[in-house]
Amino acid sequence: MSNVRSFRHGGILLPQRIHFDHGPIENAFLPINAIVVLNSASTGRTSRIAVTEGEEVREGQLIARFDGKGTLNAHSPIPGIVRKIIAGKNADGTAVSTITISLAGSFSVLGKKPERYLWKSLNKTDIMHIVQEKGVARVSSGESLYDILHDMRGTSAPRFVLNALEMDPYCRAEEAILLERSADIVDACAILKKILQTATMTVALGESFPEAEVASLLNLAEKAEVHFEIQRFRRRYPQDMPSLIDRTLSRNSGKAVVSLMLEPSTMAALHDAVVSNKAHIEQYVYIGGGAVKESRILKARIGTPIGDLFEESGGFTGRPEVIVVNDPLRGTMAGNLDVAVEKTTRAILALTHDETHSARELPCVRCGACVRACPEGLKPWALNKYAMAGLVGEAADRGLYRCTSCGACAYACWSRIPLVDRFERMKSQGQS
Amino acid sequence: MMYTQKEFPDTHAPHLHDWRSTSKVVWICSLVLLPVVVWSIALYRWAAITVWLSSVASALLTQLVVDGLFKRFTLRDGTALLTGLLVASAMPPAISPFIPAAASAFAILVVKTLFGGLGGNWMNPSLAGIAFAYANWPVAMREYVLPTVLAGVDGLSSSTPLAFAHGLAGSGQARVMDAIRQAGYPLSGMDESLTGFLNDSIFSHLGARLPEGYIDLAVGFKSGALGESALFAVILASIILLALRLVKYEIPLAILGSFAILAGIFGTGLPGEFIMGGDVLYALSGGGLILAAFFMATDPVSSPVDRKIATIYGLAIGVLCFVFRRWGNHTEGIAYAILIMNVLTPTLERRLEPLLGPKPARTSV
Ligand code: SF4
Ligand code: SF4
Repeated sequence: MSNVRSFRHGGILLPQRIHFDHGPIENAFLPINAIVVLNSASTGRTSRIAVTEGEEVREGQLIARFDGKGTLNAHSPIPGIVRKIIAGKNADGTAVSTITISLAGSFSVLGKKPERYLWKSLNKTDIMHIVQEKGVARVSSGESLYDILHDMRGTSAPRFVLNALEMDPYCRAEEAILLERSADIVDACAILKKILQTATMTVALGESFPEAEVASLLNLAEKAEVHFEIQRFRRRYPQDMPSLIDRTLSRNSGKAVVSLMLEPSTMAALHDAVVSNKAHIEQYVYIGGGAVKESRILKARIGTPIGDLFEESGGFTGRPEVIVVNDPLRGTMAGNLDVAVEKTTRAILALTHDETHSARELPCVRCGACVRACPEGLKPWALNKYAMAGLVGEAADRGLYRCTSCGACAYACWSRIPLVDRFERMKSQGQS
Repeated sequence: MMYTQKEFPDTHAPHLHDWRSTSKVVWICSLVLLPVVVWSIALYRWAAITVWLSSVASALLTQLVVDGLFKRFTLRDGTALLTGLLVASAMPPAISPFIPAAASAFAILVVKTLFGGLGGNWMNPSLAGIAFAYANWPVAMREYVLPTVLAGVDGLSSSTPLAFAHGLAGSGQARVMDAIRQAGYPLSGMDESLTGFLNDSIFSHLGARLPEGYIDLAVGFKSGALGESALFAVILASIILLALRLVKYEIPLAILGSFAILAGIFGTGLPGEFIMGGDVLYALSGGGLILAAFFMATDPVSSPVDRKIATIYGLAIGVLCFVFRRWGNHTEGIAYAILIMNVLTPTLERRLEPLLGPKPARTSV
């Protein structure tokens, strides 16, 4: 393989990837009750609710309207009745609003052949309008894609990277989507080309991405008149983070070279919005982990409880120690199986103790594993010392704010010190 | 939904961890020492059993009492057991069980607990315990016996080959081994036949000859501390630690490297040595050097975090150990060498960190 790139310092080699053979990606069953979370995953802000309890909604009907920057349109993922609208607070005090819709009525999107708009006749403003209208979110962060593209106006010759990297041992959704929907993804790149006016698009692939598929990808790109530049990356966590892709592509020079990075799942949503007139009401979700009977990728409606998806994958073979939403190094834990799929849900994992290697926290033994792991060249053990002593200023002097919360240090820590959690607390303390 | 009500405990990202954990590492270190324990018991019978038992039991008991006072339970992290094992490894067999017990108790109570428990001690507890024993019972700590299997009786006293050889310096023998032999130090039949076999089958083809006696050194057919008695098992255990990457390999390699080079150039005061002609193999195999280099100097708590600084730390230990061995006639030189560098580690880190420490990555923000 020619020229596999990587960043320079730190990083961790995770255990071999879990073998995963997937057939064509199937649709998950529609949930009986879909719980749509209205808070943006990136800003926490809520969109304006546009329905009332008891109202009948069609599939894809607008149920909450964006309310300024940092919010998104939300659409009903299933046809049904608005059962409950909650505008409340989480246990930790953060605001959370949800709309619960009970399945009823007929389907309009499912089973119908997807529409194909001749989007090439649309101009830039029209496309931007559709992106906003359909509530397309950047799957990796939950930001409004419209906001992102809007903010990029005036960037001359922006460099776009299609990021299909996943560095943990589990998640395979992005690669699978790129393989299964390559024509659509390439189309979405062409749409983006129109918006960004950019000539070259970089495709970031892992070292194990099949070489034969690269050729067909390049073929499709040529037909769609986009120019793809393929870059291979070494499998080394956290290479998939935008900041490290940027650093790697800039040859570790420290100069930003990438202006926009999106993943295949976001591109699929963009394609569906512009070409198939579909709102962002579906997510590709990888269901896996040692406690799951059969790993698979399902196309699930937003609002589907993750328990349903686990059940559809054959249920649990044993008691999972922890349920994780998204990748196991940065993802959040799910307190129970009622947690619903959101626009940012790419994976749900039921992990066993054999996989997590969790243990009781012990004092730092100065083993230095964290220093070797940190891609930012920080000394996590020293930062932890300041965190324990409440010395935010000292920690800031030693690079606290350069920490990207990648979790490599806490993964490696012999004493299982929740380093990242502590750093995040300290960062928010320092800012307030 | 069957699982709806089931709650999962609060955890933080990352949800995956490296398999190495502090207590696992400590347990593995103890486990790989097991063959050393077994071998020394095979060699010395009761003379070894009493030492291992008293040291380990005292370490565990002391920890238990301390834990009771602090209302916690830390025995399962394995550090007390390892401390007990390491203290015992430096003891001569047949020593009064009171001494290893006192050394272990001192290690746990004074060095580990008073300095702030696991992670707080800036000195390796087991080494401090060993030094404590040398300081308080200098005579008993230097009274060695021959292995029961070699002498035929329990507790036939003898000085270690290292001390023995030092006494023979200047005896005009060409090789340290020959000098020892000349002076009536026993050689096992196994060594003679195995060395002969190796010489016939391997070394003769290489144009070399392995002198008699080294096999005896490796398998412990000589007098020495318990940990020295199974050099081959110690080497095996060290290889496991390296392979599993549980120790910073820079430290033992720097220690053994610098020590070997100095010993090679200047000799360690053995008969038959001359400048550039020191008996390196002999020097390395004695004095518990390898055990201490891999198991005690690498204690992460009391050694530098940064690998480059750890290398310097290791080199310094090697040099100090050589100095003690060459001119001090201390078999226990390695213990003092490591302890001195333990104490100097914070200074070393403070001075060298700005030069050698991790460099922040260049970022675009
Ligand atoms: S979480 Fe922060 S300190 Fe830890 S490895 Fe990542 S960047 Fe370094
Ligand atoms: S990895 Fe954990 S135990 Fe090791 S030095 Fe870093 S913080 Fe300390």
